Amino acid sequence: MARREHLGEFEHIVLLAVLRLGDDAYGVPIRHEIERRTGRAPTVGALYRTLDRLEDKGFVSSAFSDPTPERGGRSKRYFKVKPLGLRTLRASHEALSAMWEGLEPLVQRGN
Amino acid sequence: MRLLLRIASRRATDAELGDIVEEYVERRHSAGWFVSQVVSILRRRRSPMTMPERGAEMISNVRHDIRYALRMLVRNPGFAVAAIAPIALGIGINTGVFSLLNSVAWRALPVPDGDELVSVYQETRGGPRRMVHGARSLFSIPEYHTYRDETHTLSDLMAYSRQWTVTLGRESPQEIGGILVTCNYFDVLRVSPAIGPGFTPGNCGPPDAPPVVVLSHALWQSAFGGDPQILHKPIALDGRTVTVVGVAPVGFDGVDMAREAFFAPTSMANVFRPEQKLLQDAHVSWLTLIGRRRHDADIAEARADLSLVAARIDSQQPGRTTSLIVQPAAALSLPPARRSVLWGAGIVMAAFGLVLLIAAVNVANILLARAAARTREIAIRLSVGATRGRLVQQLLTESGIIALAGAICGSLLFMWLFGALIPWLIAAIPGSEPVRIDTTPDRTVLWFALGLTAMTALVFGLVPALQASTADVHTAIKQDSTGSTGGRGWVRATLIGAQIALCTMLLIPAGLLVRALHAAHNLDPGFDYHDVAVVSISLRGPRYEKGGAENFHDTWLERVRALPGVERLSVASRIPLSPGRSQTTFRSGDDREGHVVDVNTVSPDFFSLLGIPIVRGRMFGDGEADAVLVTESTARRYWPDQDAVGRVVTMDGRPRQIVGIVRDAQVSQFDDVLSSYMYLAVKPGTQRSVRVLARTRGGLEAFAAAVRAETSRLDADLVVNVQPLSANVSLLQTLSRITAGIAGTLSLLALILASLGVYGVVAYVVSRRLREVGVRMALGADAHDVQGLILRQTLRPVVIGLVIGVAVAAAIVRLLQSVLFGVSPYDPVAFVGAPLLMLAMALAAAFVPTRRAMRVNPMAVLRSE
Repeated sequence: MARREHLGEFEHIVLLAVLRLGDDAYGVPIRHEIERRTGRAPTVGALYRTLDRLEDKGFVSSAFSDPTPERGGRSKRYFKVKPLGLRTLRASHEALSAMWEGLEPLVQRGN
Repeated sequence: MRLLLRIASRRATDAELGDIVEEYVERRHSAGWFVSQVVSILRRRRSPMTMPERGAEMISNVRHDIRYALRMLVRNPGFAVAAIAPIALGIGINTGVFSLLNSVAWRALPVPDGDELVSVYQETRGGPRRMVHGARSLFSIPEYHTYRDETHTLSDLMAYSRQWTVTLGRESPQEIGGILVTCNYFDVLRVSPAIGPGFTPGNCGPPDAPPVVVLSHALWQSAFGGDPQILHKPIALDGRTVTVVGVAPVGFDGVDMAREAFFAPTSMANVFRPEQKLLQDAHVSWLTLIGRRRHDADIAEARADLSLVAARIDSQQPGRTTSLIVQPAAALSLPPARRSVLWGAGIVMAAFGLVLLIAAVNVANILLARAAARTREIAIRLSVGATRGRLVQQLLTESGIIALAGAICGSLLFMWLFGALIPWLIAAIPGSEPVRIDTTPDRTVLWFALGLTAMTALVFGLVPALQASTADVHTAIKQDSTGSTGGRGWVRATLIGAQIALCTMLLIPAGLLVRALHAAHNLDPGFDYHDVAVVSISLRGPRYEKGGAENFHDTWLERVRALPGVERLSVASRIPLSPGRSQTTFRSGDDREGHVVDVNTVSPDFFSLLGIPIVRGRMFGDGEADAVLVTESTARRYWPDQDAVGRVVTMDGRPRQIVGIVRDAQVSQFDDVLSSYMYLAVKPGTQRSVRVLARTRGGLEAFAAAVRAETSRLDADLVVNVQPLSANVSLLQTLSRITAGIAGTLSLLALILASLGVYGVVAYVVSRRLREVGVRMALGADAHDVQGLILRQTLRPVVIGLVIGVAVAAAIVRLLQSVLFGVSPYDPVAFVGAPLLMLAMALAAAFVPTRRAMRVNPMAVLRSE
């Protein structure tokens, strides 16, 4: 891929959440994971908008499960981070770390 | 909540809704949370596309729809023709009529920057009494000067006076028509003469300047053979020497519909009609004003500006109120003429619009039938995620393509047809002059055609599209393709009823016009117009001033009366059935108010010549100037139950005695006996021109030749017009033939279209009910009973449509009164005949398909279940 895809902050967060959840990454746990770690819960709509975009960019793939009764007979959509997603995460992380180097004392908590 | 989910499920995926349900149940969220999450999904579905993306999608949709529609049409050529042909006809005719109307009423004058020109007319009330030459809405010279000098929105203003007929003296003299113009006429129009300087301050302005004229290119060619030395040559107009100062460019023959042969300065009014004092009088209507707008002023500003000038003129003439009519200059601008043409064209276009409507309803019916056949296709598309709006859009695109194809074919055809037909029609009217009509389409016509096309597409496309897209997915897919769609019957019934009503609305007036045509050919106007010649000679020029005309008249009458073959000869100031009328007022006894009366000044032979008998009293004698004859109707109206003979009336301040009563005759107008009509006796030695009726033996041609020879012996420069009196009757007959022909063709077309519509719908209904028919017949129903049942049901909307159509027709036929000669607008033959014809056609159209249905084998139908 010649062009480096840019990763937005929320995309970054969602991608990490999917990675963290592994085989259990569908809508509800992803939202909970994000809420637990960042303290903010995205709406279902916002989450899926981002997931769809990540899938379009080739960072994640998704698959439907069989319908389950507790969801009113609706299926779950499981997400998985693809190799391209991993590479982009790494690149993003490296870029951020490089930029952060030596700056942490300047942005102390409570400043 | 369930409802919300169901609504949301059209736009959201299962997984998303599942997440919401799962979390809602697990975490016991509030209902508010639930709603906000669902809304977030719905918003998500809407927002991912940016505006340009959505635009691109729309364009790609439209492109796809167009391609799809074209494929459908190409694959079903029968359907394509059935749908496009009637629309082509309807839109084509309407666009054709509109382009005609546009060319006379709205198109800018064919001169440089013609759209800057405005024509100005006035409507005055009160104030000093006005003399009228042409129309009341015209201006006088002093009024023209005021407007020209005081306007701020017009860069220049010119004036001209129409309909000046003069005799061009040559070896064979001829009468030519032209206009009198102000010196800046050509400057305002930005037309420069092809030859010569035209009007200049030197030759046009000064009161003592010798008379000059600019010739039209056509006259220069026809009367002077295109003589290159024409400039400054003297020619004879009305026996006076006039110098040619220019020749107008090719194709420029004035700004009105008439083709002008010459342009002379307004000051020539004193030369051509010295007795009429047109130039000085401030209260005479004879000039049309045309001005050129400044670039920075629009028509509304010009209107306001000129109205201020009008108000100033009003303030100087107590009691006068003037309202101005300022409009973009067009070929037909004179307000009364314009009003009547717009009114007439409105009726014609309404009639043609009805035909278009009938055609559109036919196409709607075809589309409905097709939509029923496509129920499954549409249901499948709906179920795989097509939205209803998207489907309607696609079906409307199909309609649009059909309408557009029809519009293009039809407009081209009729534009060409009208271009050829109109000159032919005008030439067919006896005594009509060639007129300038340019029907080449312009932007106005294009917009009209496009608007009409869009409206037509909506009319025939919207109902079927909406109907089709409401298909119930489940039942439609489950059912086999021959399943019935009986629930939509009322739409078709309404369409049929509308079609029949529209068609009846056309048929009845058409029937009336055809009856009027019949009447026109069998009309008895109450006098004998056969073998009567009308001779008219204009006596103009210096030779016929100061008593010259009277002398000529007497000598001429004496000589013509002596010609072989002349049985009777009569002077008449008004020729029977010729346009125009002479009116005056009279008082009877001690009346306070005068009564308006039409008068005709005739010699005693008039009545025996035309075979109009005296019913009471006696004929006036030759030269008995104070005697009058009244018609029977007039006597009945003013002296009911009394003897009119012997009474004295005051007319023009002089007492006159009624010496006799003559039988009524339609001498003024066809099919109309005026109830206020008097004959005055000719006073000898007062005739300013020759207007004579002659009953002859031996044919018109021989008589005309003899009269011409005799006249040229008296004055070789006079133009002698000889016409048969029957020409006035055949004019009416020709007009009747044209209107009845157009109306007849039109309604025949409507009848065919409506019958096709009935046939199509009945055939469709029958094919859908074959199963029912099979069952009924298998159970022992009589074929005729079943047929009757279907006929009765399908014909109910026909009858309702007929009733509505007759009612509407009864309300609108009054508009036609002015062209219905000899027939009452409520003529029973038309009002009974037309609906019966309509009913018969509808019955026949419905009968054919039901008969076919009766021949089916019940067992075969049932087995196919």
